[in-house]
Amino acid sequence: MTPMIDVVFQLIIFFMCTLKISEPEGDFEISMPLGAPNAAADSDAQLPPFKVRLRAGADGRLAELTFNGTNLGSGESAFAKLNSEVLRAVNALGAIGKEQQEKQEVEIDSDYNLNYRYIINAIGACSGRMQNGVTVRYISKIKFAPIRQQQ
Amino acid sequence: MIDVVFQLIAFFMLINNFEQAEADERVVLPRDQLAAPPLVHRQHSFLLNFGYLRDQKGVIIDPKPYFFFGDERAELASVRARLRQESQYYKTTGTDLAEITVEIRADAEVPAGLVQELIQMCQEEGIAFQRFALKATQKATEY
Repeated sequence: MTPMIDVVFQLIIFFMCTLKISEPEGDFEISMPLGAPNAAADSDAQLPPFKVRLRAGADGRLAELTFNGTNLGSGESAFAKLNSEVLRAVNALGAIGKEQQEKQEVEIDSDYNLNYRYIINAIGACSGRMQNGVTVRYISKIKFAPIRQQQ
Repeated sequence: MIDVVFQLIAFFMLINNFEQAEADERVVLPRDQLAAPPLVHRQHSFLLNFGYLRDQKGVIIDPKPYFFFGDERAELASVRARLRQESQYYKTTGTDLAEITVEIRADAEVPAGLVQELIQMCQEEGIAFQRFALKATQKATEY
């Protein structure tokens, strides 16, 4: 009887040690419909997409963030500014119609060597914000511009 | 007491099974506030882990990022064959390729261009995936 209990305890300890608690991971969906690199005709939205340009420094860090031509700088505050600029632009679209708001796309154009984290931050900043634990969506359609080859 | 112990074993055995070997620990995901798990569980998806080899302290050892498939690793160019296999598999089982989401778990320091090239590769003729999800975590991983 006792040897069996010993074995059973060994098993428990084994499973307790191999247990791994992983954090919940979220994701951002991007829309890249097939066969449409020049998607002017394919795009649902009547207006051109919002353009987010991310320029990288030599080490892959963000050097400059531009939204529809407006320079928002670099660093943490750049994404906060991007978030408010996108909100402003989306609200302005509201004047045209709710449908247009929903169909609006954002195109992300980044340098090849930019660290991937800035892409995620940009997508996050364009997608919406957290308000009291609830996600408020600005844009749901995000796509990438054609790849800029490494210099 | 033995009964309680058996219950505990059964519990830990079951919990262990749900750990996806797929979510490779070596990949340090970027962090974003808005990264929430999808509300509706995706029916068809497959996962790609793309990251760097790091030492115990989290410092990058090899400057080239790799795709991790369990014990194997592959570079971007060699992944094409695997993608084609996955695509073939879905075609033979009759699943519409437009319904499949490619979930990309890429390390925060991977060059953005490589991820874009990966997405482009997934859209090539013969592979033809259309939906992509870029993974991120809400909390930072600490080393």
